[in-house]
Amino acid sequence: MSAPKKKNFQIEAFKHRVVVDPKYAEKTWKILEHAIHEIYNHNASGLSFEELYRNAYNMVLHKFGEKLYSGLVSTMTAHLKEIAKHIESTQGGLFLEELNRIWAEHNKALQMIRDILMYMDRTFIPSTHKTPVHELGLNLWRDNIIHSSKIHKRLQDTLLELVQHERTGEVINRGLMRNVIQMLMDLGSSVYQEDFEKPFLDVSADFYRLESQQYIECCDCGDYLKKAEKRLIEEIERVSHYLDTKSEPKLTNVVEKEMIESHMHRLVHMENSGLVNMIVNDKYEDLGRMYNLFRRVSTGLALIRDVMTSHIREIGKQLVTDPEKLKDPVDFVQRLLDEKDKHDKIISSAFNNDKTFQNALNSSFEFFINLNPRSPEFISLFVDDKLRKGLKGVTEEDVEIILDKVMMLFRYLQEKDVFEKYYKQHLAKRLLSGKTVSDDAERSLIVKLKTECGYQFTSKLEGMFTDMKTSQDTMQGFHAAAGADLAEGPSLTVQVLTTGSWPTQSVNTCNLPSEILGVCDRFKTYYLGTHTGRRLSWQTNMGTADLKATFGKGQKHELNVSTYQMCILMLFNKADRMSYKEIEQATEIPASDLKRCLQSLACVKGKNVLRKEPMSKDIAEDDAFYFNDKFSSKFYKVKIGTVVAQKESEPEKQETRQRVEEDRKPQIEAAIVRIMKSRRVLDHNNIVAEVTKQLQSRFLPNPVVIKKRIESLIEREFLERDKTDRKLYRYLA
Amino acid sequence: MILADGISLLCNDMQVDPQDIVMLVLSWHMKAATMCEFSKQEFIGGLQSLGIDSLEKLREKLPFMRSEMKDEHKFREIYNFAFSWAKEKGQKSLALDTAIGMWQLLFAEKEWPLVEHWCQFLQARHNKAISRDTWSQLLEFARNVDPALSNYDAEGAWPYLIDEFVEYLTENSIVQIGQMSDWSQKC
Repeated sequence: MSAPKKKNFQIEAFKHRVVVDPKYAEKTWKILEHAIHEIYNHNASGLSFEELYRNAYNMVLHKFGEKLYSGLVSTMTAHLKEIAKHIESTQGGLFLEELNRIWAEHNKALQMIRDILMYMDRTFIPSTHKTPVHELGLNLWRDNIIHSSKIHKRLQDTLLELVQHERTGEVINRGLMRNVIQMLMDLGSSVYQEDFEKPFLDVSADFYRLESQQYIECCDCGDYLKKAEKRLIEEIERVSHYLDTKSEPKLTNVVEKEMIESHMHRLVHMENSGLVNMIVNDKYEDLGRMYNLFRRVSTGLALIRDVMTSHIREIGKQLVTDPEKLKDPVDFVQRLLDEKDKHDKIISSAFNNDKTFQNALNSSFEFFINLNPRSPEFISLFVDDKLRKGLKGVTEEDVEIILDKVMMLFRYLQEKDVFEKYYKQHLAKRLLSGKTVSDDAERSLIVKLKTECGYQFTSKLEGMFTDMKTSQDTMQGFHAAAGADLAEGPSLTVQVLTTGSWPTQSVNTCNLPSEILGVCDRFKTYYLGTHTGRRLSWQTNMGTADLKATFGKGQKHELNVSTYQMCILMLFNKADRMSYKEIEQATEIPASDLKRCLQSLACVKGKNVLRKEPMSKDIAEDDAFYFNDKFSSKFYKVKIGTVVAQKESEPEKQETRQRVEEDRKPQIEAAIVRIMKSRRVLDHNNIVAEVTKQLQSRFLPNPVVIKKRIESLIEREFLERDKTDRKLYRYLA
Repeated sequence: MILADGISLLCNDMQVDPQDIVMLVLSWHMKAATMCEFSKQEFIGGLQSLGIDSLEKLREKLPFMRSEMKDEHKFREIYNFAFSWAKEKGQKSLALDTAIGMWQLLFAEKEWPLVEHWCQFLQARHNKAISRDTWSQLLEFARNVDPALSNYDAEGAWPYLIDEFVEYLTENSIVQIGQMSDWSQKC
């Protein structure tokens, strides 16, 4: 194919008619300038936007953009200067309204101007990096109106004055306020912040400084807080009504600082109305208010917490050291629980269940409960009381609640081993006298102790329950084996207790009446026959007996007494009068127990089956006792309790203490050896620290005791001192 | 075997009192196991190491042995040796009376101003035998803690008996911690 030379077509650009008129730009601008004037004068209805747009378009197209832009700036500036003068001249209250009205107009005008000059906005301005029309309008407004020397200050003052009016309770035109503030925000965040927010915050601070000063002088704490809360809410509302939302934290900050932070110490410590007073009087609402307000300032909660803690410690200390309140252990523990409940309630209802407050409460309780060395004993006595009688007719859930509370107190105890010791004693008494109300409750508490302290802690307690069960089986076996032989004479129930599990004291067996002795021996033979290699000894100090007695006029009663008392009463089958010495000789009951027994047999009204000479409350060694045939009682069954020392007496306490100390020694030594075995070499202070840590779930070992144990281990060559550093110990394998 | 009688004969020959501290030093050289007793092996071994083959030489050696007590290092060795030397065979600790006697003897050589108070304290409050640890730690205490107790550290792992001694001293205002009382300056 041949390629004939092709003719190239060229498409020429369409050529505009070149504007030759040299005055074209000037003329066109005049039209536009006129239009702008008309717009500002509300005569825009007569204008043709299409025409104006085209003119502006052409000016930009013919490279007169610069002229157009600068013309706009100067025209608008001139207008705004006029407006400024007008606004300056407005009188008093109308100032703000006028400003607002003209601002709205300016916006409208700006809108129209922007529409006309849209082409410039789109092409000329971006390419020359000038300010777009709308923004330009705002800037000019800012510079010529807001920052004009006569308006600037007046505007600020007027706004602040209005807020001040509102704060003092007057109603102001919030809509107007909102519009003007909105204007400031439209002019850019820096205008709002510099020209309004900053001075506003300063004024607010002054206002609240003054007001809080007045309040604090004349209000009590509760009222003050109410007022502060009200103010805070007002300010938050103020922000939502007519301020920038970003101002809220700044504004609340000011109120918090002036009304709360500056006065919080004084508030908390206010006499008769401060925090302590609120706590004492359970003022949940006030406390809640204080919590919520103080939470807003950085050290507020710590302050409340500290004051609360020291208050609780103080009352707790009084509670546990007041000798009056120590008289009744059950009441003592009940008071502790009440105190705990009270403060729990405060924390949950007023302090938002704050964890740090709960911890503070716990540590306070831990602090003061351990101030009294008898706390473990008393808590055990409280449980004893509950499990003996207190829980009758109480639902299972309520029992659980009480036991959980007891466990909570138990957790506070440092000397958990002391509690264990007493608990064992009290449990033994309960089990042996059959006084325990609910087996389930007993076991439930043991389970709780086990989860808290581990298997070791409760193994002996559980052993006691096992013994009780086995004893029942043994007795069945015994009766089955002995059969009819036992029908005559007294019936016997034996509980076989494993030594070691029970807190048995080695008390000499008293002399039992011959009637009883026979049955006892039979049982002994039976038991040892089935269990070879065991030893039985009678714990006569722990038993009980039911006696049938006939008195003077032939009235019959069943007397429920202790084994000791039974031995004493049986003596009166043979004689009507016996002296103290004779009784002591015949029974060989230890003197202190004997006195107690006789006291409850002869000195308690309504249960005095014996008569004593001379009549007196206490038993003396030269007293004489008679069978009281004038005894009478409404009841067939008469329970004669021993005058038991519920609380331990001083020497008993000492003895228990000593036993506890003795029991601790091997535990401490074991801990030292455990630690040294793994560490091989350790210095003194670290051993003490580690031992304390290991044992603290049971008790708080005394450093001196630890030291003694270390020395003892050195002497027994488990450890040695390092040759060069005498503070270092070595483990000798 | 030289027993008590033999020892007193030996002392006579050496012209020293059997209570003389130099006998302890001699026993230390002989590595004697027990007070008032030398086995033949101990006796000969000791004399050999001292380079003595006659009574004359033994007598001449006495001043040297006395001077050895002044040597810090040797004193410590002799002090610690004294514990096992003085205690009864088979016992782990040292009877209090013996211990007090030994302390008085030893601290007469190397002055420790609190020794009398220590002994009084033990008799009043302790009245039990002394363990090896307490024995050896007391020397450290006497050496390192000044008599005014200004550098005593309650956390310093001292045996509890020494802690209690310090308590006793302050309780009875014998020493006010950190202050040199007139009494301790006199010594």
